[in-house]
Amino acid sequence: MSLVIETNNLTKTYKSKGGRPIDVVKDLDLRVERGEIYGFLGPNGAGKTTTIKILLGIIHATHGEAKVLDKYAGDIEAHKKLAYLPERPYYYEHMTGLEIMHFYASLFRIRDDKLCKDLLERVNLQNDMNRPIGEYSKGMQQRVGLAQSLLNDPELLFLDEPTGGLDPLAHKEVRDLILQFRDEGRTVFISSHELSEVERICNRVAIINKGRVIKQGNLVELLTGARVEMVFRGLSPDKAKEFASGDAVISSSGDTVTVDMADTGETNGIVDAVRSAGASVVSIVPRRMRLEDLFVESVREVNSPATAEVTA
Amino acid sequence: MNIILSIAKTTIGEAVRRRILLVILLIGTLFLVVAPSLNMLTARQETTVLKGLTLGVIQITSAVIALVLTVYMLPNEVERRTIYTILSKPVQRWQFLLGKYLGAIGALGLMIGLMTFTLLFVYAAMQGDKKPPLPISLFIADLIALVAMTGRLKDKAMGQVVIGIMAAGLMGILIWLGVQSDQLDTFSEFARTGAMFYVQMCLLAAVGVFFSTFASPVVNFFLSGGVYMVGSLFNTLFDSVSKNADMPTFAKYAVKTIQSIVPNFQNFNVQNSVVNPTQIIRGEAFHYINLAGYGIAYISILLIIAILIFDKKEV
Repeated sequence: MSLVIETNNLTKTYKSKGGRPIDVVKDLDLRVERGEIYGFLGPNGAGKTTTIKILLGIIHATHGEAKVLDKYAGDIEAHKKLAYLPERPYYYEHMTGLEIMHFYASLFRIRDDKLCKDLLERVNLQNDMNRPIGEYSKGMQQRVGLAQSLLNDPELLFLDEPTGGLDPLAHKEVRDLILQFRDEGRTVFISSHELSEVERICNRVAIINKGRVIKQGNLVELLTGARVEMVFRGLSPDKAKEFASGDAVISSSGDTVTVDMADTGETNGIVDAVRSAGASVVSIVPRRMRLEDLFVESVREVNSPATAEVTA
Repeated sequence: MNIILSIAKTTIGEAVRRRILLVILLIGTLFLVVAPSLNMLTARQETTVLKGLTLGVIQITSAVIALVLTVYMLPNEVERRTIYTILSKPVQRWQFLLGKYLGAIGALGLMIGLMTFTLLFVYAAMQGDKKPPLPISLFIADLIALVAMTGRLKDKAMGQVVIGIMAAGLMGILIWLGVQSDQLDTFSEFARTGAMFYVQMCLLAAVGVFFSTFASPVVNFFLSGGVYMVGSLFNTLFDSVSKNADMPTFAKYAVKTIQSIVPNFQNFNVQNSVVNPTQIIRGEAFHYINLAGYGIAYISILLIIAILIFDKKEV
């Protein structure tokens, strides 16, 4: 798999009003592969938008390097093959949807009325293309944004909070479009807070906090196997507590006991111990975490005083 | 060039719809129309004072428009994030800045043109018994039709042709008015004064764009306004300081430094020959070309520095 985004030790430092340096992005290593939908997650102020701006060459990194489509960030040649849709985009309100498309097309030196109309039709704006943008709803504006982002048939799309502030119907429309982009072989880099949305469509994610990547990888791998649910028959809850790890949640119903615990790799030992105690194993199921749980757990872990102390 | 012109065109579209600019323009234009009715002076004084007053109104209104237009230009683009969608396309920063500047001076041209046009018409209409009613009626009818049709024509290309023909018609009627009232020379002087105001305002807009690359809108307003004031009002004072033998050397150097940095806006105030027709400028054509060259040179320097700063700026 070839990489479309690659950053090494990417760092962006600003000076606070008191002159103290603040690392908004710190030693960021990202690897985004061609054809995937990559979720870039983090709490407010984590450094997501700053990272995107560095990748687009709008701001410059203090240290490290960033490559986009095999070019250094900001290279005009790379810009010919990428698209960016900012969070809550604004368009010149006096212009119609079609005029906006013509304007952005002209920035690529494209003069193709049919292409502009076709793209507006693709995002279901064929009946509104001659209305001023000022009359469009948020969802329609977002769809114009997505249509304009396809003008150059991009290989890579940066979408910053693409579904932010949209109603459920518009959410679905935008989500479907993003999935279509992936099916067409484009790479989509999504920065978002909408974790359920990211979980539905992303192949891989990176969670960043305070400018550092705290989790990165394949979404299925990250969410699977973090916990395990074991059901035993003929075991008392008190006995189950002796085998299970500290954070286990134990519940019983009739002669079965359910143990929900972190998968610490001790499952085989527990099974042996349970069998030695004369009980039987009904089922062992690795439980899939929700992305929200992973996100909250990862961010809390980093923000906890103990970690903060170690980091400091 | 296509990219720069696209950005410029969009900037003009935005500018001519900004309410604050339209209000300033409306106040200025209204004053030009109402000014002749302040008829409390004798005939000779009336004409002289009126010319000076109305040209002054155009100058002040244009300066305020130039400042308001440019000080918010870049900050607005950043605040509304439009700059990000543009700079993420294959657009160089210099193309963006130049496009914005050309758009700003395009809008300024339209506004100064409208005010100069209004002034010419008002001046023609108040030519006492020489006032020809037919051209004036035609002018008003054409103007009303033009305003009514603007933006209502669905076919854009056809609309531009129609508007172009009607604007040319307005100009033609105006020239006819000038011929009929024996005021063609005065008309051309007004037009030249308007053109020099325009170069002056293009220079002020370049100052505004330059400061907007590093200053906030409010600071920019005062900085650009300050440069305009110094360049417009203090040159006579500076000249007298540098020629005064009693002044200390450091004061003379300070004045010379300010004079060489701050553009001389006063140069472009050529309305004296209009207000006092007895005043004659020698080598007039060369003088105007020289002035325009001075303005273009200063504008180029300011824009080059602005581009260099903007290229490194983190937006």
